Amino acid sequence: MQKRKNKTNRFFGATAFLLIPFVFLAITVKENIESKDTAAICLMVAIALIILFGYKYLNLHKEEHAYHKIAIALWVPIGAVTCYFLNIYGGLGVVLAAAITGVVASFLPSLNKQSVYLKALPSPIYCGAFVGMSSAVIAPSIGFIVAAGILAGVLYLLSKNLFHQIGGKLGTLAFGGVIIVSLISWLIS
Amino acid sequence: MNELIILITGIVGATLTFYVSEQLKQGPVRSSALLSLIIGLFFYFFPELFNDYLTKNIPLVFIGASFIGMVSAKVKINYLSLAIAGCLFSIIYLNKSDFFDGYGGALGAMAFIALLTIMVIVKMFYRKKQKNSTHK
Repeated sequence: MQKRKNKTNRFFGATAFLLIPFVFLAITVKENIESKDTAAICLMVAIALIILFGYKYLNLHKEEHAYHKIAIALWVPIGAVTCYFLNIYGGLGVVLAAAITGVVASFLPSLNKQSVYLKALPSPIYCGAFVGMSSAVIAPSIGFIVAAGILAGVLYLLSKNLFHQIGGKLGTLAFGGVIIVSLISWLIS
Repeated sequence: MNELIILITGIVGATLTFYVSEQLKQGPVRSSALLSLIIGLFFYFFPELFNDYLTKNIPLVFIGASFIGMVSAKVKINYLSLAIAGCLFSIIYLNKSDFFDGYGGALGAMAFIALLTIMVIVKMFYRKKQKNSTHK
């Protein structure tokens, strides 16, 4: 029974997660149709089909469906705000802001090598840094970044054993947080 | 020429990050962030060295491709696959929609798409090879 529940959770979690890159590919195809770039359209459609039909052959998830602790996911919005401040108010630009946030986060476990909690912090902080890479046009206020960071934190919390140790996972979660908050703020306005 | 440099940047970003993360045991976050910091600082202090396009885009492509190199060695991926994924990342970057300019995480989503695509292709290739060898 538990195994079946894990499988169902995994299926819905992975499907929801994969929606994020598919939104990216769909909008890229739409824009390329408008600019009539046939090669780019074919490439994006081919990539979407490869992922759609080939993804099931990859074993990317852990068997058990688990969640990150809230105390760990809480660091996603903290990383987002830190990176946003360095980028917008510090004027360092997105790459330096995210890189500095990531480097500092990566040394946090060195403060106490015995601490399991500190060891878990670099990933959520770096995930948050990706949210903080948003420009002032997309994220006009700190409130936007906090909201996108919290949402990315929730996605981070839910996706502990999904796409385990796959590069780009943290950025995809951040992107999910930013586009959802953008959509909500667009609907409200 | 600009496009070629962007492609090479993608390949170097992905493979070098993986090397520092796995071979030098620095972990994925420090590896990606530290290498991107070095590249970012280089272009911050020497903005005149390359043309405007490359000065703006090389650091972005490098940090984006470095997300690919954050993959764990437990996933059983080799340097050639990572290099191809880095190259695919650069191609996606060059053809991406302007719609996503300024969206945080877009580079990560591109890295995820590139890596997943190459992992599927590699898996299919080995499945086919395995099938052929069992038929012989």
